[in-house]
Amino acid sequence: MAAKAGTGTAPAAVSGRSDSGIPLRFGDDLLLWASWLYYEEGLTQSDIARIIGVSRASVISYLADARTRGIVNIAIETAKLRSLSIAKALQEHFGLKDCLVIPGEGGGRNPFESLGSGGAQALRSIFKPGDTIGVGWGRSVLAAAERLSVDGLQDVRVVQATGSTSAHVPYTPAACATAMATAIRAECIPISAPAIVSRRELRDMLLQETPVREQLASLEELNRIVFGIASLRPNSTLYSSGFLNDNPQFRDAYAGAVGAIAGHYIDDMGRKVDGPLDGRIIGISLEQIASTPQRIAIASGIDKVPAILAALRGGFVNVLITDAVTGAGILSADGRDIQTAHAAAPQASGTGTAVLVRSSVKKFLNAPDDAVDEALEGAVTEHAAFLRPVRESNRALIARNGPREGKVGLVIGGGSGHDPCFLGYVGRGMADAVAIGNVFASPPPGPIFDCTRAVNRGAGVLHLFGNYSGDVMNFEMAAEMAQMEGIEVSTVVTTDDIASSGAEDRSGRRGVAGNIFVFKVAGAACDRMLPLPQVESLARKANRRTYTVGVALESCSLPETRRPLFTLGDGEMEVGVGVHGEPGVLRQSVETADDTADLVVDRILSEMDPARGDEVALLLNSLGSTPLMELYIIGRRVRQRLKARGVSVARSWAGHYCTSLDMVGMSVTMMHLDEQLRDLLDHPSDTPAFRIA
Amino acid sequence: MLLLSPILSGLHGRMAEVGVDDIMAVLREASARLASASEHLGQLDGEIGDGDHGTTMVRGFSAIVRALGEVEPGSSDLTTLFALCAGSFLDSVGATAGPLYASGLLRAGSYAEGRESLPAQEAPMLLVALGDGIGSRGKAVAGDKTMMDVWLPVGQAVKAARAKGAPLGDTLAEVKTVAGHATEATRSMIASKGRAARLGERSIGHVDPGAASAAIIIDSFSDILAQRLG
Repeated sequence: MAAKAGTGTAPAAVSGRSDSGIPLRFGDDLLLWASWLYYEEGLTQSDIARIIGVSRASVISYLADARTRGIVNIAIETAKLRSLSIAKALQEHFGLKDCLVIPGEGGGRNPFESLGSGGAQALRSIFKPGDTIGVGWGRSVLAAAERLSVDGLQDVRVVQATGSTSAHVPYTPAACATAMATAIRAECIPISAPAIVSRRELRDMLLQETPVREQLASLEELNRIVFGIASLRPNSTLYSSGFLNDNPQFRDAYAGAVGAIAGHYIDDMGRKVDGPLDGRIIGISLEQIASTPQRIAIASGIDKVPAILAALRGGFVNVLITDAVTGAGILSADGRDIQTAHAAAPQASGTGTAVLVRSSVKKFLNAPDDAVDEALEGAVTEHAAFLRPVRESNRALIARNGPREGKVGLVIGGGSGHDPCFLGYVGRGMADAVAIGNVFASPPPGPIFDCTRAVNRGAGVLHLFGNYSGDVMNFEMAAEMAQMEGIEVSTVVTTDDIASSGAEDRSGRRGVAGNIFVFKVAGAACDRMLPLPQVESLARKANRRTYTVGVALESCSLPETRRPLFTLGDGEMEVGVGVHGEPGVLRQSVETADDTADLVVDRILSEMDPARGDEVALLLNSLGSTPLMELYIIGRRVRQRLKARGVSVARSWAGHYCTSLDMVGMSVTMMHLDEQLRDLLDHPSDTPAFRIA
Repeated sequence: MLLLSPILSGLHGRMAEVGVDDIMAVLREASARLASASEHLGQLDGEIGDGDHGTTMVRGFSAIVRALGEVEPGSSDLTTLFALCAGSFLDSVGATAGPLYASGLLRAGSYAEGRESLPAQEAPMLLVALGDGIGSRGKAVAGDKTMMDVWLPVGQAVKAARAKGAPLGDTLAEVKTVAGHATEATRSMIASKGRAARLGERSIGHVDPGAASAAIIIDSFSDILAQRLG
């Protein structure tokens, strides 16, 4: 919370007290003076009363007046307000007794640090003398315990909620309970038995042992319990801690579970899931948790949303400590729109009065289902000088001039709707054949295999396509079919869209307009009769050095539906958009062309990290409806930025190269050149959409 | 007596065998239901993907139904039938669904081991095989927010019912419940496969379209077999 004393209009003299010897440091403005001392100097109301020489009641009324007259403006940081509104929404929606939401991102540098501090802050006001507190285990619980320190709570007991584990992690059940007990100077009751035993009979026997029996009996006396919620995602602490084995049988047995509390699996509605651990767990039961009066869960992380939601639905939680991103995720997962739940801050977005509201997008079409085949019929005729069907279908096309004895065959392919991708790049010096799918959908293995067989002239075939799960699977099946016929096939997937995934996950990124540079380099290498392994490695290199970021202003619409795939508000743009109309990774308010170009260039340069004097090839690509005029405006700024960085644009192209139907938007691609790549880029090519003389 | 036996077994609420005709009826029903859900599936996909899931599934199943029209009555066994379906589906759509369902259908076919029919009690195991085939091609695990989040729990439910020796009618009903429930459960998941994976936390709150269409197929299977029980 930040308070500022502003310079509002000076109020009329207040009750003529200036006559009675009050220092007029703020002119006659007692309101401003009192506000200054209170908000900026941090004095108490009594101190201020003494300094100004009025009663404390007067100070209170001055401060209130200062607010109403606008002398003091209180601004609450939006992020904090947002988390407050999420907390309120969570509390209402799930009927929680209390909810604390830490502002900020869940995936921060150390999420447990801020969650732990938040947890500690909450627990400090929750714990009371005479409490018997159950303590679960996990990173969040330990983080909270380590940041907590409370003195003077009398007769408090901490009970370890589950048995012990031998896991080599710092946050074992025993460690968590001990840390919590130390933090609040409480007596600690451990559980002197393993959390999970190998056989039921063993558990029954252990429960007859006096210490264990007594320890477990104290779990019946809990008035509060603090615990974490485990996700069952592959990276979950449940597995990394060794608390549970992560083996396929085990997973299979608990297939219906989404999370775990104190070693008990629950399904998405928070019901217990039966499985091989039944009767083998020593520690608190789900029933005991549910009947504990105060049940405090500390958990955050976007991958924990299903688990936390399950725990809430099952009634295992009545106090939740989480972060804003997770909180928002939980609410939207349960169908509650947080924007409408508590409009924290009015967004630039929203549904302002639309200038034009249409129920469908106008298109030049006959039967929508025929769109792809009719377009292909037109394109194949249009470009008959370059290509022809492999057999009778237009879904597999081969270059008229290209495939020849001893040359590696280059097969590209992908869905329709990206024109001139992909058939525009078939011809001498680029691809030898293309397989074409439905709108935004990978071609099946059949046509890919037909292409592969048709271009194989004894030197093998390279499959080159964008990294999408459909394309990967279909090309993989076609490659298997080709290999069964003894055709050597190598595969390279393009991954130039740097917005689609972090740098550490380069192989998970999708392929977009940068395809063209990679096709060009690979095609040139084939045309120079290089052997398959070398073609493959050059294609990989070209891909590695190619970077694309796209920005959309309006969604595209499919022929079948003629409706926008997603909607962008009046003032919004989608950054990191792909070429399938799939929403981008970030939605923000529309910037000027220069600011948008800067955003894109910053992103590309930070990853490319070129040295002064380096060269790039530049591709300014319209995603469909953005005119060349705007591409030039963007391109102008991109070049200014590159110049400032000391990078020269050796080759460049602007226009429609890889589109997303009628999307309004553009992408910028840069290939970080070296001599070899520039040479291959300059190699002659003659295709419908890309010609180098 | 021989002529009466199907009727008698019908009286017991039990269908002796599930054969080619039954599976064909299931596939036709699934095709019809997918067609009427096409727009809804497309909208679900538009929220987190590229909006084509409805049309893809309809195209694939229409191709299956067209191929079924060519099957001479009594000429096919289940393995051949499923292979025919896999090929038709794959050739007509490609996409992501193509290889996944083709692999699933082939696996269901190999489960049938060339038989013309299966004991009705065993028929739900076809769903397990379908799910296994899809899973091994797509490599998605539980919680990835994919169609496997329906196929996995459904497979699990079938196996559990089989282990307890539950009556077929109960198993079919259970499978439907599980599928519906599992579909809804994808709402809280964060996508980690396919195009939606790039959306990260923005995928939360939306039902996965692949899960929704899987549930439609599973429902068709249950309803049609239950209907043909008597």
